[in-house]
Order: sequence, then structure tokens, then C-alpha cells
Amino acid sequence: MGKRKSLIKVKPKKYNTGDVVKVNFMVMHPMETGSRKDKKSGKIVPAHYINEVKFLFNDKPITTMQTWESLSTNPVFTIYFKVPGKGELKVIYSDNQGEVNEKSKKIKPKS
Amino acid sequence: MERRLFIKGLGIIAATSVVVPSIAMAAEKTASATKMGIDKALSEITGGKSISVSSKVHLKAPEIAENGAVVPVTIEVDSPMSETDYVKAIHVFATKNGNVRCADVMLTPANGKAFFSTRVKLGVSQDVMALVETSKGEFLSASQNVKVTIGGCG
Repeated sequence: MGKRKSLIKVKPKKYNTGDVVKVNFMVMHPMETGSRKDKKSGKIVPAHYINEVKFLFNDKPITTMQTWESLSTNPVFTIYFKVPGKGELKVIYSDNQGEVNEKSKKIKPKS
Repeated sequence: MERRLFIKGLGIIAATSVVVPSIAMAAEKTASATKMGIDKALSEITGGKSISVSSKVHLKAPEIAENGAVVPVTIEVDSPMSETDYVKAIHVFATKNGNVRCADVMLTPANGKAFFSTRVKLGVSQDVMALVETSKGEFLSASQNVKVTIGGCG
């Protein structure tokens, strides 16, 4: 299980406690539907897609998502989030082949 | 004379036996694969409750998508997102995909804003639909047709 590339972006870059900020989470994932055929071998490529994404702040769940293969390759998930204070924003994502990864970002409000 | 009738008869039999089942099969396919799919998925989530089309739900998607593999979809709901009145869940559907369900997003008051944006794959031109569940138990929906030039599946 190789480590996947993922990225969390918070917009705007400078924010205060109580502000509602935009959180962008991107992950490099093939998101195979399970109905596509490999052009060279003619075999069906097995389904491989993210089925759960969890956004946590200081280990408290903010948003949980259940997803299916209809999402695009290298999907992007955007939500809004009210900054309650200092802490860590963590995203845990798992796919249908049992791969579980996580990515975190420190939240440091100006005031 | 007999020979002519015989050949005619053969032709009619062949034509009906080929055409009729193919029509029947085509009708069955479209009904079961697409229409039933979305209806079943919706009733599974709502549990038989009625869904109202609401102007509170803003669904943004391109009217014409050149590439069906990457179609940005944005859903925003007018909601105060307070402890007592907030959006519980946003469900995203692609009504004619093999699997109609794209994402279920469970929100909490900690979000501050009922918003979700992602990118979906669309196989053919179809409606993209959002079903929103509020904390009061209401189901609101919005949908938009997206024309796809090149399909994104397969």
C-alpha cells in the first residue's frame, strides 16, 4: 500500500477564531468504476474507489462522507468549517480495497 | 402462387421474431437500470417521505460538460446552521449513471455553512440531483440537466 498524495487547503490563509473558512481536500486516487476495460489486455479493471472520507477537528467529527465510484479521478472535496480555536484538522479516508490514509493540517487562528 | 405465400409468411415470422423482443428488451433495460435506480435510491434515504423541490437548495453544475470524466458540482443550502436548525445531510446523485449515488455528506453545526463541492463522472447527458435532509426531518431537492459531449465512464 503506497502512500497517496493528498492536500488540504484552507482559504483564506489568514483567519480568526469564529471565522467560517473554506476547506479544500484533494487526493490522488484512480477511482476505478469496475466497468472499464484495460485497452492492452482487454481485462476488466477491478473497482477501486474511495468510499469514506472523515473530517475531524481535534478528533471530533465535523463532516463524514460516504462516496461511490461516480466521483471523478483525483477527487476534490470542499466544505466550510467554523474555526473554534487552535487545533488540528485531520482527514481520514479509506477505499473499497481496504486502504486507509490520513492527512492533517494545523489550524492557527490569528486571534 | 403457393411458393410466394410461403416466402411471404417466412418473412413476416422472421421480422416479428427479431423486432418484438428487441423492443421489449430495450424498454425493460431503460426502466430498470435508470428510472428504478434513482427512485429506489431516493426511497431508501427518505423512507417514503415526500420530497419537495426547494429554492433554498442551490445546485451549480455546467449546462454543457465537454468532458464527462470531470464535472464540477457545487451545492449550497440556505440554512442558519445553528444547533437547532441545520442541514443534516446532502446527497448527490447522477440519475443515469450505473450507480446513481455519488456522495452522502453528513454535516454538523460545526460546519458553519451548508456547502459541499466535488467533481463527478457522468456517463451520458443526464440530471444531476441534490437531496438535502434538514434537522427538522424535511427533504428538499434541486436538480439540473447536464449535457455531456464525451462520456466519462468506460
